[in-house]
Amino acid sequence: MSDNCLLCVAMQAGYPGKPVLRDIRFELGHGEVLGLVGTSGAGKSTLVQSLLGLLPWRGGRVSGHVMLDGKNLLGLSERDLRKLRGRRVALIPQSPMTALNAAISLEAHFIEAWRAHENGGRAALADRLTELLAEVQLPSDREFLCRRSTQISVGQAQRVLIALALLHRPALLIADEPTSALDPVTQVQVVELLRGLNLEHGISMLYISHDLISVLQLSDRIAVLDGGTIVEDLPVSQIGHGRHAVTRALVNALPAPPEVLMSYRDRRNRETYWPAVAFGD
Amino acid sequence: MARGMTMRIPAIRPAAFWSLLALAAIAIGVLALPGRSYSGQDREQLLASASAQHPAGTDALGRDRMVRVSAAFLLSMGGAVMASAAATLAAAGVGTLSAFSPAALGSLAMLACDVFLALPWLFLLMMVRSTLPLTTSPAHSAAITFLILAVVGWPACARAVYRGALELRKSEWMLQARAAGLRDKQIMRHVLPNLTSLLIPQFLICIPAFIIAEANLGALGLGIGEPLPSWGSMLLELDNSPMLMHTAWVYLPIALLILILLLFEGVATKQ
Repeated sequence: MSDNCLLCVAMQAGYPGKPVLRDIRFELGHGEVLGLVGTSGAGKSTLVQSLLGLLPWRGGRVSGHVMLDGKNLLGLSERDLRKLRGRRVALIPQSPMTALNAAISLEAHFIEAWRAHENGGRAALADRLTELLAEVQLPSDREFLCRRSTQISVGQAQRVLIALALLHRPALLIADEPTSALDPVTQVQVVELLRGLNLEHGISMLYISHDLISVLQLSDRIAVLDGGTIVEDLPVSQIGHGRHAVTRALVNALPAPPEVLMSYRDRRNRETYWPAVAFGD
Repeated sequence: MARGMTMRIPAIRPAAFWSLLALAAIAIGVLALPGRSYSGQDREQLLASASAQHPAGTDALGRDRMVRVSAAFLLSMGGAVMASAAATLAAAGVGTLSAFSPAALGSLAMLACDVFLALPWLFLLMMVRSTLPLTTSPAHSAAITFLILAVVGWPACARAVYRGALELRKSEWMLQARAAGLRDKQIMRHVLPNLTSLLIPQFLICIPAFIIAEANLGALGLGIGEPLPSWGSMLLELDNSPMLMHTAWVYLPIALLILILLLFEGVATKQ
């Protein structure tokens, strides 16, 4: 276990009579983005819920260890776990529409999430909200905040959920297929937004997806999940040299060689985040 | 019965609602007329047909049928609405608590509901009723009748709420709320608002069910005590065939009861 490790996982998880994750081992450094790719049914959602300590609530069991900041989350009480959720580690869910409570306004979501970890009044929240909504490119006027999830687009809903996840400036974001419900244009915008969060604020990310293209755009390292274990764990630039059959199949399914897709990403990063360097080239 | 007919007519719900309100207003108007009382007897006119003085005739004791029908309507509707509200609230409490407690505890609570539903209620009601002293006032008997209906009515409703709350427990937004670190208290506050689409129909469906249950209990002599008028005691008149030959106005209560049940079904119909 290296000192630079923010999240260090070695665990098994599943439901009574149905093991899902046989042996999951990976590490995630500070400021790193780990892309976790897996086919449908590989156990991605189970993994997310295990990491957040929410699997028992859904009737599942986890063993092993999930070390965050050197603390084993699996050994914590529900009370202590709750204090970490949303504050140190936050989740961006898969289906933005159903992940918002349709019975309350968007603002009520932020108020509830704020009160979960902060005693500060509404004024403190209002300041944070203005800053946050600008960051995820959402309007912060009252009219928008008073809307319900049914009155906004899927793309906006996903931005709201990203903003909710960022509310308490977590060290680690777990993104569970955050683009799978979105149209291609919005997908790109959300991936760009997440990359910006990583590059500008150094937020570490576990980016889970079955879409290798978006993983290539975002990740520093790629892990491949198959049959309940991590079968491959490579720097993203090495993905073309993966040996496992699933990795090969994923790479072969790409519309262009990974090196080509990576070069787009590098150019974009240079232009957006280090324009001075780009001019210097 | 009403559902099949009413589904295709678009504005049945508001129409039924306003019709009920209009009927209630008429009933209040009838009761507010001076010199009318549901228990006052006109000994000159026993079993009379319609007249200027008694627009719907009188019963065997010379009591004005229009006044009695109006009072019975208001009493049964008021009682049924309150009993339904109480049953729905109890069901909401038990259903959600069971769904959010550990699985074993929830199943146990629902098993208790099943046992409750399987009890021979009519027999128990007769026992309870027979233990009440004969001096029980009519008002008390009315209150007890509707209380019993609420007590008997909630478990079926609780099962429906339990299933809805279990769905809610598995919902994405609840997982998201937990992932955001919301306290249990915070999350539980949002459970009932998300169940209103389930609770309101339950509440509305219970009302006509309780009205007819009260009428049945009354017809068995277990319901609201005389001289308070009730659907049940008025339906008992239909038992007396010489009376049926005498005047057609004895059919007024059953006709109105059916109309009111249809209207309540109309209000409960989802569109």
